[in-house]
Amino acid sequence: MQHSKAIFRTGHLLPVGALLVAALVAALVAVSARAAQPAYINQPDGAQIYSWGYGCATGSTPTFAPQVVANGSPGLVDSSTGSLINSNCSTMQVPGPTLIVTEGQTVTVTLTNDLPNAAGNTSIVFSGFKVTASGGVPGLLAQEAAHGATVTYTFVADQPGTRTYYSGTQSDLQVEMGLYGVVIVLPNNVPAVCDAGLHHSNQQVAQHWKEPDFRLAHAAYDSPKTCYDREYMFQFAELDPDIHSQVLAQVNANPNCHPGNAGCSLDIATEPYHPAYFLINGRSMPDLMDGNYGDQYPHQPYNANPHIHPGEQALIRVVGQGHWQHPLHEHGNHVRVLARDGNLMLAEAAPGVADRYDLAGRVVFTTTNTPGQTLDGIFYWTGRGLNWDPYGHNPNSTDANGNPPCYPDANGYNTGYAATDTTYTGTPDHPEVWNNINYYEWCQDHDKPLEAAPVGDVASGGPATLPDPNILTNGAWFSGSPYLGPDATLRATGPNSVFLPSNTQANPADERGFAFIWHSHNERELTTNNIFPGGMFMMLLVDSREFVIDESK
Amino acid sequence: MSITRLFQCGLAALLLSVATLPAVAQSFRVQCPFSTITHPLVSPLTGTPYTDANGNTINNDYEPPYVGPTTFATVPVTKDANGKMVGGYVVPSGNINGAIKCQQIAGGDGFATMADGTQVYLFSFGPLSDLAKMVAGQDGTDFPNVFNQVYTGPPLQPGDPATTDEAAGTSPIGPNPAFTYNGAVGLVPDNSGTVVDPATGQTVNCALPGSATNPLCLTGHVDPRQIEDVGVMDGNMPAPLFALDEDDEYFLTLSNTGMIMRPDLFEQHTVHFHGYPNASSFYDGVPEASIAINIGGSFTYYYIAPDAGTYMWHCHITPPEHLQMGMVGQVYVRPRQNRVPLGTDLYTSLGWQEADPRTACKTNAAATDDATAASRDILCTNPLPAGVGGNSGDDGVTQVMDAHTSPERPYRYAYNDGDGSTKYDVAYPINIHGFDPNFHFIAMTFNAEPFVDMKDKYFLLNGRGYPDTVKPGPMKTQSPDGRTHYSQLLPTIINIPAGGRALLRISDLDVYEYQTLASLGIPMTVVGWSAKLLRDEAGHNRSYKTNSITIGGGESLDLILDASDSGKYPPGSTYFLYTPNLDHLSNDEENFGGLMTEVHICPTTINPTTRTCT
Repeated sequence: MQHSKAIFRTGHLLPVGALLVAALVAALVAVSARAAQPAYINQPDGAQIYSWGYGCATGSTPTFAPQVVANGSPGLVDSSTGSLINSNCSTMQVPGPTLIVTEGQTVTVTLTNDLPNAAGNTSIVFSGFKVTASGGVPGLLAQEAAHGATVTYTFVADQPGTRTYYSGTQSDLQVEMGLYGVVIVLPNNVPAVCDAGLHHSNQQVAQHWKEPDFRLAHAAYDSPKTCYDREYMFQFAELDPDIHSQVLAQVNANPNCHPGNAGCSLDIATEPYHPAYFLINGRSMPDLMDGNYGDQYPHQPYNANPHIHPGEQALIRVVGQGHWQHPLHEHGNHVRVLARDGNLMLAEAAPGVADRYDLAGRVVFTTTNTPGQTLDGIFYWTGRGLNWDPYGHNPNSTDANGNPPCYPDANGYNTGYAATDTTYTGTPDHPEVWNNINYYEWCQDHDKPLEAAPVGDVASGGPATLPDPNILTNGAWFSGSPYLGPDATLRATGPNSVFLPSNTQANPADERGFAFIWHSHNERELTTNNIFPGGMFMMLLVDSREFVIDESK
Repeated sequence: MSITRLFQCGLAALLLSVATLPAVAQSFRVQCPFSTITHPLVSPLTGTPYTDANGNTINNDYEPPYVGPTTFATVPVTKDANGKMVGGYVVPSGNINGAIKCQQIAGGDGFATMADGTQVYLFSFGPLSDLAKMVAGQDGTDFPNVFNQVYTGPPLQPGDPATTDEAAGTSPIGPNPAFTYNGAVGLVPDNSGTVVDPATGQTVNCALPGSATNPLCLTGHVDPRQIEDVGVMDGNMPAPLFALDEDDEYFLTLSNTGMIMRPDLFEQHTVHFHGYPNASSFYDGVPEASIAINIGGSFTYYYIAPDAGTYMWHCHITPPEHLQMGMVGQVYVRPRQNRVPLGTDLYTSLGWQEADPRTACKTNAAATDDATAASRDILCTNPLPAGVGGNSGDDGVTQVMDAHTSPERPYRYAYNDGDGSTKYDVAYPINIHGFDPNFHFIAMTFNAEPFVDMKDKYFLLNGRGYPDTVKPGPMKTQSPDGRTHYSQLLPTIINIPAGGRALLRISDLDVYEYQTLASLGIPMTVVGWSAKLLRDEAGHNRSYKTNSITIGGGESLDLILDASDSGKYPPGSTYFLYTPNLDHLSNDEENFGGLMTEVHICPTTINPTTRTCT
């Protein structure tokens, strides 16, 4: 369940300006003495695809704490060996390790070229940074490392945000093979308001439910408009298996050749480009729903399995890493675009005011991602405006969860703040609602029935008549009722239920909530080598408040 | 189709362990209540009928004027007929806004005719209400008094309305079309019993003559034969157009009539309202997250019209297949600002919306401190317009009649802008799509469909390639059932009144690649994107002028072609919208056609309903 953020988690462990040394290795096939894992990535159709990826060099472990996913939570443990799985990014991975640093830090990355001889030189381009390089040999876009040699890149992380890094050498081939990743720069000055008002109450609620905090920071930028309560990252790339098999064949045909010798280089047709796999964070649906660092994906540690609660502001980092654009459609609500390529988009300031506070990025239901480009955005879900109570509340209920109060705040939500407190700076009137499962309910629809006939604990009088369930097919994430959460569904079933008998909850115990598909709307990319479902297809779960989200899973 | 089919049909059972219920009941139904707790005929608080700002009794069959935010009062908790405590929720106590809207569609298959004459097989939706209006180029969304009309003419024919029109030799856009029925196909009184009139306490026998006009007897019961007769092979490309007004309650019934060309398939269908904000997963139409409708069944989706803008809808079953095959349509929502009385200051009317939290933006001026900035709804895009140089953003624009229209009507707006910046005279829905003829051919057989090798070769505006895009009226296709069906209802002839402004609502549900549409001549002013006004949080206008737009599948935008300078764009002139992706200017092997249409400047005014010059 944990998302794809946290491999090099060094940012706030180091003082500002600390020298950060990240050693990356462009990894290789079985012939290497230094990283002797075969570099194949797994796809849900059973294919194992020969790939190249970045990993951490031996000896870089002490510098980083990648096994600490967030907030002191341990990473996953291999049940057979008891050791942390891929805890040091010690093998190559696709995407490459996420470099997480803090604004103002100087970052040094040493790249060792462990690609096969025939691959020739390699390099890294860090888009959006002023990079200086030492060692290596000159290349067109960046200083390059020859086979077995190293090159060192240094840059100052002078601006917060999300940016890409990828191979700057023969990029059409090397990026396709998997040489890409992300640099996240955390803001140096998180506004105090990110821990006050609604963000404070969201934190209090999470603590009540004993939910760990997995955020890297409490704001994406040095701006109060970029506070967030949860975060996820999605890297999109396609994969053309013919290119990968051609590379493997030519590498195997020239195992002992020396770089620079005639005939000792790859001659790969990268056009016409004909991808058959469509990846988010290196995996396809349904593999991307499995846990982070799962031992079935030794080279694809990052999943894509977002979960949020009603009212939480989720930061999403959407990154293009392949050849093509992909229109990512977010079911459930719109996304406010904060920034492109790490550049926060703000509106002109009010007259006479020095600082700019208002956002200027678009609000969209489809976030197109473009290769090399990043987008930071905020998503939330509250159920506002459905015109029926999605919790199935009922004044008749004898269950406290079925009949809790709803106190509208200035925006109409049950957050405990007074309706007159338009900036959420006062003392909450009803902090006790922080312990209720209808925290952040949209109060205008409280107790409002959906169904014309009474069902279970749910009242009659609503506009809709639900049909005979025999003419319907239930989905795997369907709870068995129209209502949010296991409590509501259990109350909303009964002898008169159209869907389920008494006390039945259909969806899986660890996936309780409203499910929304987030997917490429170039719909043919919802396939894995001609098979639907697959590809760029994930499920956002809006979990009811009583369900504890554990992102480390 | 073996592998693909097995996988998608077996997905639930094999991969995800789903509770699949046997399909034993055949159960077509429709739903279109005359009143609800949100749109009551009589106030539940006072027992008296509601009246609108003009003193008319509200009956949910028209849009009352918008003169202020709906106010609410809580219904007392009482016992219902089943002895359960009900109430405790809010209902309108004043300013009832919006109305009830209903629509019925069929999910199944059909054929469409491409501009090179090729007939292409579709998985498709077709209209099952508002048939006469739809084939005349209008939307298919209507009030209860239209939807709930029981058909009384000679039996509906397979292929209708085309069959009836053909027999009479009339055209749906002619002066006296033979087919005029707009009610819900199949709707009949439930003559199986009696109902009690809650107003009088008297028993009504719905089997007696005259019950077809008694609302109490119209319970949604249907005659399935009519639905199958009209709904089979009535596929439309694009799918039927939905049009809502903000504050409407919308009842959309999908009846799955089956796919006659593919008796081996038991395809379910759904409706995904694409872009619906704060959606419930139940009505989101995603089969994995909700329910899917089997053949022979109906399901009624229930929505409150979301914020104004251009959205899309489509089936969400096996989307790479069902979307490529044609199950794609547009839905748009018109703003409250259209409904303000003449003379109303638009800025003032936008301010009214702040008093109802459902319609409020709570962002009335640029923020000047952290706490104010952080407390705002981050997804709101229509704050009051910002003033220039410290002035108020109220530019004094009021609602007036639009002299470019005939019959004349008040101005229309794309969004609640508060300053008239999105006003228009006439609006055009434009759905961009692409067809891969090879995929459609294979989909008619039992073979596995190629997703990796998909390649669109027909490039379509509202289901047609040029020059069909400029053919007036609906296009017909004869299908293997021997009947002619109206298959592509919407031309894309952009008529603009002299000195006027046209709104283009552009949505793209192409499953394969991005599309670009350019304007040769009149610049495009993009005013909305993703059903959101292009305005920043501080109230500054972020619309922009361009001569081309590029959008991908699942994106939509609103743009205005502004021909208000009649010197520059004189009456009688013709311009073009076309794609500069030059390989998309084709109808398969015909290398001229495809994604292109014409823009005409009318001699004078325009009829905004028929979109023809007057």
